[in-house]
Amino acid sequence: MGEIKDIRKTKRLQTIVILVFVCGLTVWSAIGTDFSFYEVFSGIGLISNFVFLDLLPPDVSASNSLLDAILETLYMGFVGMVIGAGIALVLSFLAASTTTPHPVIQVVVRAFTSIIRNIPGLIWALILVASYGIGVTVGTLSLILGSIGFLTRVFADTLEEIDTGKIEALHATGSNYFQILAQGVFPQFLPGFVAWSLYNLELNIRASTIIGMVGGGGIGFAIQKGIKLFQYKEVSMAIILVLILILSTEFLTSKIRERII
Amino acid sequence: MEPVLKIEHLTKVYPDGTVALSNTSFDVHPGEFVVVIGSSGAGKSTLLRCINLLVEPTEGDVIFKGEKVNQSKSKQVKHIRREIGMVFQNFNLIDRLSVLNNVLHGRLGYTNTIKGSLGIFNKKDIKEAEAILERVGLKQQKYKRADELSGGQMQRVGISRALAQMPRLILADEPIASLDPASSKNIMDHIYNICQEDQLTAIVNLHQVDVALKYATRIIGMQHGQIIFDGHPSQLSDKVIDEIYDTKKPPLVNAQ
Amino acid sequence: MSQQIGKEKQNIYPLVSSDKEDIAKPKGDRFLKIIVICGVLLFVFSLYQLNIDYTNLWVGTIEFFTMLGEMFPPDFSEWQYVIPAAIESLQVAILGTVIAVVISLVLAFLAAENITTNKLFARTIKGFATLMRVIPTIVWALIFIVAVGLGPLPGVLAIAIHSLGMLIKVFAQSVEEMDGGKIEALKAAGANWFQIIAQGVIPTVFTALLSWTILRLEIDIGESTILGLVGAGGIGWELTRAMRTYDFNSALFITIVIFVMIFSVEMISNRLKLKV
Repeated sequence: MGEIKDIRKTKRLQTIVILVFVCGLTVWSAIGTDFSFYEVFSGIGLISNFVFLDLLPPDVSASNSLLDAILETLYMGFVGMVIGAGIALVLSFLAASTTTPHPVIQVVVRAFTSIIRNIPGLIWALILVASYGIGVTVGTLSLILGSIGFLTRVFADTLEEIDTGKIEALHATGSNYFQILAQGVFPQFLPGFVAWSLYNLELNIRASTIIGMVGGGGIGFAIQKGIKLFQYKEVSMAIILVLILILSTEFLTSKIRERII
Repeated sequence: MEPVLKIEHLTKVYPDGTVALSNTSFDVHPGEFVVVIGSSGAGKSTLLRCINLLVEPTEGDVIFKGEKVNQSKSKQVKHIRREIGMVFQNFNLIDRLSVLNNVLHGRLGYTNTIKGSLGIFNKKDIKEAEAILERVGLKQQKYKRADELSGGQMQRVGISRALAQMPRLILADEPIASLDPASSKNIMDHIYNICQEDQLTAIVNLHQVDVALKYATRIIGMQHGQIIFDGHPSQLSDKVIDEIYDTKKPPLVNAQ
Repeated sequence: MSQQIGKEKQNIYPLVSSDKEDIAKPKGDRFLKIIVICGVLLFVFSLYQLNIDYTNLWVGTIEFFTMLGEMFPPDFSEWQYVIPAAIESLQVAILGTVIAVVISLVLAFLAAENITTNKLFARTIKGFATLMRVIPTIVWALIFIVAVGLGPLPGVLAIAIHSLGMLIKVFAQSVEEMDGGKIEALKAAGANWFQIIAQGVIPTVFTALLSWTILRLEIDIGESTILGLVGAGGIGWELTRAMRTYDFNSALFITIVIFVMIFSVEMISNRLKLKV
């Protein structure tokens, strides 16, 4: 009995320590960012004024020129996904412990993609703008980088979950490395490959709307320009187009995923 | 008659220290239907996998058709594996590929890298694969996806894949452990009859003694990685069976 | 069943049977083919429409690697500005996430279809959640900057709003996936709405909520590092400044700091996930 009480006591103590820690972190953050509820509540008036008077209603007449920008965003997202998935496919076979030709290659590829992944796409865009200049090239390239970083990791994880018994069965027939990859590993890997690539397309569309803000072209650039020129009704129109694009990609990819898997 | 397979002083110690096989030796002659029995963990699977080098033995030799398997280069190992068909407990078919394609995987060892990777097989191989499927009664199912089949049907595809290799030797690792009694009988009949008709040699791991007694021409009993019985099924007494399956009792034979 | 077994037995070696007839090869998955063809066409079309200047791509790539070379060695001299900015980003992310979690905990229970008090209310909350979730954090930041001015506050609000949208969605989903029998049992015992939530729902979905929260914090720390790019405070602003003044060595240092921040958060959250 005494032991059970002790366990409950330490558990409760643990919970309290974690709670105090989280509260402490929050207070520390609030102080560090000069956060005050007064400012937030007094800001509510300003925000609603801005939203209802400046942003709304959206300027529908601007939709023509914005349409080009949103299509550009779609193109960048799609091209980024296809090229990124192609490169990630090769890299992931090198990065997965089940398929890598050598452990050293595995570590190098994992480290390389970890660096790409852990630097946000927008920062890649910022760095790339310095060498390629403003435009869709920067947007597409940073989306490709982002896709490689994300997809290599999830593809490699998928490859590592593959049933090794089936691979053993192909070894037993005397097949060689490439035959086993193509005939044994790839068919098992295909559903994950398709599902993750489609999810990556969603991520890319989201990312490509914002990459424009640092000079990557597309709708992000239009939003940034609209704000700088105080054309807020155009901005809200652009945001609506972004909403439509993101929701329809989500809808379409979920339909395709359902059919294929 | 020259033995098709010689196992000499085979020992396998896994990196974690588990001794799966210790100093095992026996010969297998052409046409034999050897059944290996023993409780789980007795080293049956390791023994089978050492024969086609899916597991690298720590010590000892595996000699197949006069060639030392465990000292071959990787290319030779692949050539030897082609002649040894293997059937698995979990069938190990590639789910999303067709039945025919799974059977053709047995021909990968004879196909060049690029064609094999792309799944392009020559007409002769396809004809043969179809003939094998007809033999096991699955011709109608050849274009179905492997995961649409029942367990018994999947195992028949597994057997077909092994047969497509044109093997000299069949290794079957608990081929009926995942099946219901009716399919189990069907699968054992298939393996036995095919080996008889094609004059193949077979080594089958089982843990049901009654099934072993029914099919085997020779039974090997294993315990703790060692062979404690090797002989004709009629010699297998209840006392020996108890000894093979009762891991708690100290071995009576060595008590002196 | 027994019939089927009988049939299987007969089929072992069919001497004369319908099995002799060859069956037609199926055409394969039409849908998959159409999708692949559409995908290829869309890819080619997109690439054409983007009209990428390939000489610029080549020249730019050379320039990019030259720049990477110039970035070395990293310049640590401005650490007394960079480190506080990094901490500010961290604080923005933590505060934003905490606010989002607290509010979403209340709203998610109202938005979950199986325990809500009012279906229409639930749909409305979900609609707003979609709006908040779909508009990117940085766009929210731009809107809040216009409304309340530059600094960390618009960053906190942007992260809170965007996270709120996602958390309401996933929290409500976790609650909806819960076994209905448990709620029924508590209802049968005469518990009221608050009691059902406190005693039945929260203990069941607690781990799911916790792992979503950790994931969201991970994402938010990544996002808070870029908010500075539009003037919402934090380390992103330092990077923008360094790049604008072509101070590549400082830029590399700042990029390394950002990498270390996000990387260590990923490591820590992987550890926590194992524990949860």
